Amino acid sequence: MFANRKIENIEMEVMDAVNQARKQQPLLNAMVSFTEVDEAIEYAKSSSGKMAGLPIILKDNVLTKGVRTTGSVQILDNYIGTYDATITTKLKEAGAVIIGKSALDGLGMGGTGTNCHTGFVHNPYDLTRMAGGSSVGSAVLVASGAVAFAIGSDTGDSVRKPASFVGIVGVKPTYGRISRYGIIPYASSLDHVGYFTRGVEDAALSLEVLAGRDDKDMTSSFREVENYLANLNGDLTGKTIGIMGNVIDAIRSKEVLVLFNDLVEKCKAAGAIIKVIHMDPVRLKTCLPVYYIIANSEATANHSNLDGVRFGMQERGDSLEELMTNSRTKGFSFLLRKRFIIGSYSLADENQDLLLRKAQKVRRLLVEDFKVALADIDVLIAPASSDVAPLLTDTSADQLSARYLIAENHMVLGNFSGYPSMTIPMGKINGLPIGINLTAKPFEEQVLFDIALGMEHLTGCKNMMAEVML
Amino acid sequence: MSFEVIIGIEIHCELKTKTKMFSGAPVSFGNLPNTCVNEIDLGHPGTLPSLNKRAVELAIIACELMNCEIDRLIRFDRKNYYYSDLPKGYQITQQFHPIGRGGYVDIEVDGVSKRIGINRLHMEEDTAKQFHHGDVTWIDFNRAGTPLVEIVSEPDIRSGKEAAAFVEKMKSLLEFGDISDVKMEEGSLRCDVNISLRPYGFEGYGTKVEIKNLNSVNNVLRAVEAEIARQTDVYFKGESIVQSTRRYDETSRKTVLMRKKEGAVDYKYFPEPNIPPIMISDEFYRKVKSNLPKTAQQRKEDYIHLLGLSDYDASILTSGKDLSDYFDAIVSCGAPAKNTANWLISEVLSVAQLRNNRRFADWIQPQHMSDLLVLVSEGKISGKQAKEVFADMIQGESPKDIVAKKGLVQVSDEGHLLCWVLEVLSNNAQSIEDYKNGKDRALGFLVGQVMKLSKGKANPAMTSELLVQELSKR
Amino acid sequence: MERISKKQVYKLAQQLMLRLSEEEADNIIAEFDTLLKQLDLLDQIDTSNVDEMIYPFEEPTDFFREDIVDHVLPIEEVLYNAPVEEEGYFVIPKVVKD
Ligand SMILES: [Mg+2]
Ligand SMILES: [Zn+2]
Repeated sequence: MFANRKIENIEMEVMDAVNQARKQQPLLNAMVSFTEVDEAIEYAKSSSGKMAGLPIILKDNVLTKGVRTTGSVQILDNYIGTYDATITTKLKEAGAVIIGKSALDGLGMGGTGTNCHTGFVHNPYDLTRMAGGSSVGSAVLVASGAVAFAIGSDTGDSVRKPASFVGIVGVKPTYGRISRYGIIPYASSLDHVGYFTRGVEDAALSLEVLAGRDDKDMTSSFREVENYLANLNGDLTGKTIGIMGNVIDAIRSKEVLVLFNDLVEKCKAAGAIIKVIHMDPVRLKTCLPVYYIIANSEATANHSNLDGVRFGMQERGDSLEELMTNSRTKGFSFLLRKRFIIGSYSLADENQDLLLRKAQKVRRLLVEDFKVALADIDVLIAPASSDVAPLLTDTSADQLSARYLIAENHMVLGNFSGYPSMTIPMGKINGLPIGINLTAKPFEEQVLFDIALGMEHLTGCKNMMAEVML
Repeated sequence: MSFEVIIGIEIHCELKTKTKMFSGAPVSFGNLPNTCVNEIDLGHPGTLPSLNKRAVELAIIACELMNCEIDRLIRFDRKNYYYSDLPKGYQITQQFHPIGRGGYVDIEVDGVSKRIGINRLHMEEDTAKQFHHGDVTWIDFNRAGTPLVEIVSEPDIRSGKEAAAFVEKMKSLLEFGDISDVKMEEGSLRCDVNISLRPYGFEGYGTKVEIKNLNSVNNVLRAVEAEIARQTDVYFKGESIVQSTRRYDETSRKTVLMRKKEGAVDYKYFPEPNIPPIMISDEFYRKVKSNLPKTAQQRKEDYIHLLGLSDYDASILTSGKDLSDYFDAIVSCGAPAKNTANWLISEVLSVAQLRNNRRFADWIQPQHMSDLLVLVSEGKISGKQAKEVFADMIQGESPKDIVAKKGLVQVSDEGHLLCWVLEVLSNNAQSIEDYKNGKDRALGFLVGQVMKLSKGKANPAMTSELLVQELSKR
Repeated sequence: MERISKKQVYKLAQQLMLRLSEEEADNIIAEFDTLLKQLDLLDQIDTSNVDEMIYPFEEPTDFFREDIVDHVLPIEEVLYNAPVEEEGYFVIPKVVKD
């Protein structure tokens, strides 16, 4: 925990984090690279920033000048950042010490931590299990206790899902609240910068550091950044909490429902008003295909810059076309090539009406439903996953079942709408954590943090860390 | 059978901004390769576009000058294709919502005026420049991201002359609007022409051929005429036109096939998610509109009606913005308009041509030019002397210094002049006789003698008057 | 939507400067079956008179960047990541200029 705590021995704190991350690496495989820390430590010593001396980790899709930034794809394996992302600059200015870059599913396109260029990432609570994705390395390193803060990015639920699987706090603020400049994109209209902490207070403070208008990101918001930590208030009295009925209906795990209902009861006892809200179930089942089409369409264009000509890995060829084709074929895993092809298919002139434009229209309807659902309440809640983290070997998810379509994909509504959304742990099942997801109205991060803090008091799940067996 | 010629023209025009369309890197003017770029122009991972305000202003001005309806909500789209000169793998352009639509410009051919429709005007970004060296290609990204407007005419053009007049008119509007350098030979204005033929009275269009990268107005004329001749020939041979892209070869004065077009390329356009729609506010729009630069036509009318210049002089002065600006600068220093016009058209333009340099102010400051013309109009030096002074001014000296150094002051003092007149008369009795006998040439001879005696300093007009006065006494 | 053909898959791949093995192309065709079933879900939604939602928030902004040079990369940094470079240029196999 770092909110309201001054770090006295910065060297020690940073070196502890580095050593722990290094020691855990053979088991977790969560790091891509370690960075030089000396300069940042010196800077931190004289810094009065909100993260002065705090060792942190960035997802390896965040640009760092002079430091390798791979996006977890072969084609960027040798890419050295030519500039700092806006958040990199903000974090450095706040006195944070970046100790390294963490693994992700390639280009953020995946939710399992099994599509990383550096290999599978393991759940610190059970090494045979996934930790979710795509911000898998960052989530795992916060859960393992190596660092108290790590950056992720969230296009579908890539911060909030792994947070659930490893028992930590994962925040995806309002679209535009944090600049996306310098984040290797996945799908621009859905991408959010997010982050992990082990408590709500740290989460509130972190947003103060990260948020704010950035002219380099035209979609970033002009709204004032609030004093989220100072204003934090966990009193649930009179707070209106809506339960996503459709998600509860789709969950099959009794243990998950017990944990969830138990927390709801405690909220009620603490003075909260509980409502059950149902959204149009037919529309809700389209979350996945709508996401899949929009995300892949935008992604295929976003990554057209990766061609082997100006940077990154080049595979020679006798012609430009051969050079590009060789570089891109070798540079992207099959999973990525497949998604680019599906995205490109959705963009093709003859298909765009039926695919991309159709998906964008349904996106509007879903967001309208979501807005209505949130109209008379403070936050909307649901379990962040339908069960605990799956086994790494588990590929059995039936993508067309209600469990999958609704219970596993509802958090993408936060990306469609841009509404602020976060996951906090709600307990453990057989020693494995699981989280609850909360979503508020646009730019109501304070409301979100307040209620999350109230719930954190009720669950007692604060500063949870896995004991990684070394 | 005779054919109607259908021509549409597309113009790409680089905007006169300091920075790129979507990045704060400088727009390059012949700089070393890859020294005017940043990570955005290179399409590095994670970069995002940030729209240049000046580029939008210039696009609005262009719309106004071409009478386009302006879409006040600015939106951009992606045009997707892979090529080494396109760093992001897509070009940010305005496919679905161009800033301007439905405009027109008037051209004049052989004294007849004609209105040409403007279908659309949109903003986009330029690509990199490539140079071919043996078996490799070198890429310079300095040009990548330079702001462009693309202007597409309606297919209203019917001949090579009309095509050339249209391009000339666009150049003039864009140049006088301070929108672009419009240097076709340097590529800051690029022109593609689409040509098809159809039998008169026939509805619909024939197969279209595109001629790319015409680098001068003259070549527009020649290329169009060559292509019309070629297509006519093809039809008369009973063959059909192949949809294709051609270029104009200056040596053979023919169009040459570059590639056939097999079906339309699918650019998979979709709205640019990184640029939210931006509203041009009333305030912003009003400000741009109230500061619209004058067109060549407006300047010409001012010259005729406010400065009393002839239609001919005014036309020449407004044939290029550089000349018109120079003229305005000289006149605003106090020189008389008419004389300034004469001097610019006769002396200055011929020197400019000789030196192949139309940055007039570089070799004679407007103030110097004005000083010279004031010296003449005040009778301080003669026109002949002025030409002598002008020749020296090109070396950078001020006319006043030259006049002083050379002692070139014109003598207009009556007493002084009378001395010379009397001396000449006393030495030329025969001429006095001739004058009395009605030989007009004698007066000219006598004036010449006074000029000679005065080493050219005598004011010729006054000398002539004094001579007549004195002769009448004898 | 119809099932995608192998030819279409290869054509898309070619447009994207990607190569696929036979096996990979088959896998993509199989994936399309799942996608088509999901599209059936989309087809059940009436979207007549609904506009595409392209941005999470749709109030237009009025921000423009001022036309002031703010950032140029030094040539060393431009070329640092260049796979092949010569005399300050990026180098590729000769392209036939259109
Ligand atoms: Mg065009
Ligand atoms: Zn264009």
